[in-house]
Amino acid sequence: MGISKEDLYKMKDETLGKRPGNWIRVGYSTCGIAAGADEVFRILEEEAKTRKLDVKIQKCGCLGLCSAEPLVEVNVEGVPHVFYGKVTKDAAHKIMDEHVCQKRLVENHIYEI
Amino acid sequence: MKRILIQDTTGNLKKEKRDLHISFSTQIRDRGLTDQVQVVMASDLGVYDRGLAVKVLPEGVIYGGVELKHIPDIIEKTIVKGEKVEELVVERKNKQMRIVLRHCGVVDPESFEDYVAHDGYQGLAKALEMGPEKVIEEMKKSGLRGRGGAGFPTWLKWNLTRGVKGDEKFIICNGDEGDPGAYMDRSVLEGDPHSVIEGMMIGAIAVGATRGFFYIRAEYPLAVERVQKAIDQCYAKGILGKNIFATGFSFDIEIRLGAGAFVCGEETALIASIEGLRGYPRPRPPFPSVKGLWGKPTVINNVETLANVAYILLHGGESFGRVGTEGSKGTKVFALTGKVRNSGLVEVPMGITLREIVFDIGGGVLDNRQIKAIQTGGPSGGVIPEQFFDAPVGYEELQKLGSIMGSGGMIVMDENDCMVDISKFYLGFCVDESCGKCAPCRVGGTQMLHILNQISEGKGQIEDLKKLSEIAHAMQKASLCGLGQTAPNPVLSTLKYFEKEYLAHVLDKKCPSGKCASLVTYLITKESCTGCGMCARVCPANAITGNRQEKYTIDPDKCISCGQCYEVCKFGAVLRQ
Ligand SMILES: Cc1cc2nc3c(=O)[nH]c(=O)nc-3n(C[C@H](O)[C@H](O)[C@H](O)COP(=O)(O)O)c2cc1C
Ligand code: SF4
Repeated sequence: MGISKEDLYKMKDETLGKRPGNWIRVGYSTCGIAAGADEVFRILEEEAKTRKLDVKIQKCGCLGLCSAEPLVEVNVEGVPHVFYGKVTKDAAHKIMDEHVCQKRLVENHIYEI
Repeated sequence: MKRILIQDTTGNLKKEKRDLHISFSTQIRDRGLTDQVQVVMASDLGVYDRGLAVKVLPEGVIYGGVELKHIPDIIEKTIVKGEKVEELVVERKNKQMRIVLRHCGVVDPESFEDYVAHDGYQGLAKALEMGPEKVIEEMKKSGLRGRGGAGFPTWLKWNLTRGVKGDEKFIICNGDEGDPGAYMDRSVLEGDPHSVIEGMMIGAIAVGATRGFFYIRAEYPLAVERVQKAIDQCYAKGILGKNIFATGFSFDIEIRLGAGAFVCGEETALIASIEGLRGYPRPRPPFPSVKGLWGKPTVINNVETLANVAYILLHGGESFGRVGTEGSKGTKVFALTGKVRNSGLVEVPMGITLREIVFDIGGGVLDNRQIKAIQTGGPSGGVIPEQFFDAPVGYEELQKLGSIMGSGGMIVMDENDCMVDISKFYLGFCVDESCGKCAPCRVGGTQMLHILNQISEGKGQIEDLKKLSEIAHAMQKASLCGLGQTAPNPVLSTLKYFEKEYLAHVLDKKCPSGKCASLVTYLITKESCTGCGMCARVCPANAITGNRQEKYTIDPDKCISCGQCYEVCKFGAVLRQ
C-alpha cells in the first residue's frame, strides 16, 4: 500500500522540521558540472567534515545563471545570504574558511542576482 | 556587521573600482568602524551601465554612479545612521518570475522528501479528488498553451484525447529538445524531475491514460539518470504503480531514449521512434490524440508544459491566467545566449518586452557592442531587428514579427554577426536533419542552401534572392512535417529585415560584418604594427611571419580568413577589408 495524502503532509512537515539552519547549495546540473561543480562540492564537503562545521552541503539544479557556474549559495548564520559565482577550487576553500568560519564575505565572487 | 559590496557595472572601470575600494576602507578605518564594516569586491549586483555600484548589506540598498566624493555621505548616512542617500539609489526590479523553474536551484533533484517539502504531489492529490472534468476546466481557466513550439492550448488537447474512446491511452513527455542553443527542458528535467512526473500524472488523470513515456535524448545522460531516479522513488513510495493514494488510479512510467535526431521531436516521428520504427513523420490527421502510440489515443506534451501543470492545480487556473497577455498566459523560459553579458536561463512573464529581457535581465550586449537583432525559435524561427525590441513576448506577437516563440532559444546578435551566415547556419542544420521523406524539404532545402553558399562566396546573382523566396514558399506549403514547413523561416526573416546585407554580398561582393570568409581579406599595416607577434601565435594556418624589427605580414595564399589575428591585435594593426 502506497502513501496517502495525509502521509504527504506529514512528510512535508517532518522534512521542513529537519531543515538545517546553516546550508550551502551547489548548482549541480550539466552546466554546473561542466564548469567544475563536482570538484567544488567535494572540497566543501571535505572541509565541512575535517573542520567539523555545522553546515549542510546540498546539491540542487540550475538556477539559470549558467555563465556564472559553478554557482554556490551560502546561508550561514551571522553573514548575509549570498550567491558565489565562478567558484574555483581556491574560492571553495575560501568560502569555508572566510565565510563560514570567519563570517566574512569572500572577495570577487559575489553574484547578487 | 555591515557589508559594502562594490561592483563595476560597465566592465571597464577596473581602476576606479579599486580606488573606491581603497577609499572606502581607509575612511572606514579613520572613523574607527573597521570592526563593524567589511568592504568587498562583488562580481555582479544585477544592475548594469550605472558606473560603479555599491550595495549595502543587510539593508540591501543599491547605489549607482558612485564616485569617491560620495563616500563620506554613504558612510555617514547609510552605515552610521541606517538612512538612504536618496539621490544615488537604484531600484532593482526583479523582472523574472519563476513558475516552471520554481524548484530549480532550490530543491535537491535527487530527494523525494525535499520535493514533498515544497508541496510536491499535492497537485496530484488535488487532481485525483477533482476528477478529469474539473482538472480540464482548471487548465482551461489557466490558458496554458503548449511550450513545445506550436502553442496549442493544453486543455483542448487533453479534452480531445479524453473524448476519444480507447481501451488504453498514453501520455508522452517530449524531452527531445533538438533546437541548437536551447536547453530549458534539460535544465527542468535535471533540476526538478518530480514536477514533470507530477504534471504528466495529472495529464493522465485528465485524459484517462494508464501509461506514460518520457522521450529524452540520449545526449542528456544526467537528465535521464535523475528522471529514472525520481521514477524509482515514486514506485518505492507508491506514488506510481497500482491504486495511487487508494483512489483506484493506476499509472506506470517508462523512459525511452532518443538518438538525437531533430525530426524525432516532431510528434508523429517521435511516436514511430518509441514504437521501434525509423523516426519518420507521417501525415496528420489522424492526430495522435485519435491514433497515436501503437494506434491508441495519445497525448504528447513538452517538458515545460508539464512542469506548469502541478503549479496550476495547486494555485488555481485563475491565478496562473492573471500572468501574461490576452492570448499568451503564464511565463516562458528562454535560453538566452549569444552576445549577451549574462547568458543563461531566464523565466519571464509573457508580455515582457524583448528589450527588458536583453538589457534588464541579460545585462546588455557583450563588450558594449551595437546590438543588431535577436533570434528566437531556433531553426523554425526568425530574427527580430532592434527596432522591434519593444514588442511584447507572446505567441501571436512574435509571429507577427516573422518569428516564433518556439521552444525558447533566444540568441542575441551584434554588429559582427552576418545575417547571410546566420540563415546559412540554421538552414544547414535543417538540411542535415531532414529525414528525406518528402521532396519539398529534401530537395528545396538543399537548393536553398546551395544558393546561400553561392551568395556567401560572392558568386550570388540578384535573381537568387527571388529564387530563395520562391523555394521557401513552396517548402512552407508542401512539406509534410513542421521541419520542412518552418525551415525557410530564418532565411525569409533575414531577407525581410536585412535585405541590404544580402545585396552587399550579391552586388558589392562584400560581407559588411566580415564574417563570410571568402569576401574578406586581412592585412597588417606596418605603421601600427609593434612587432609583438601575438597574431603569428594565434594564426591556425601559420600564415603570418615576421619579427620585431621587420614587423609582421600575412601570406594571402595561406590565410583562411578566420579573423583571429584581427581579434587579438591590441594596436589595430590588422585591417579587415
Ligand atoms: C521538427 C520538429 C521538432 C520538434 N521538436 C520538439 C522538441 O524537441 N520538443 C518538444 O516539446 N516539441 C517539439 N516539437 C513539437 C512537437 O511536435 C509537439 O508539438 C509538442 O511536443 C507538443 O507539446 P506541447 O503541446 O506541450 O507544446 C517539434 C516539432 C517539429 C516539427
Ligand atoms: S518535411 Fe523534411 S523532415 Fe519532414 S517529413 Fe518531409 S523530408 Fe522529412
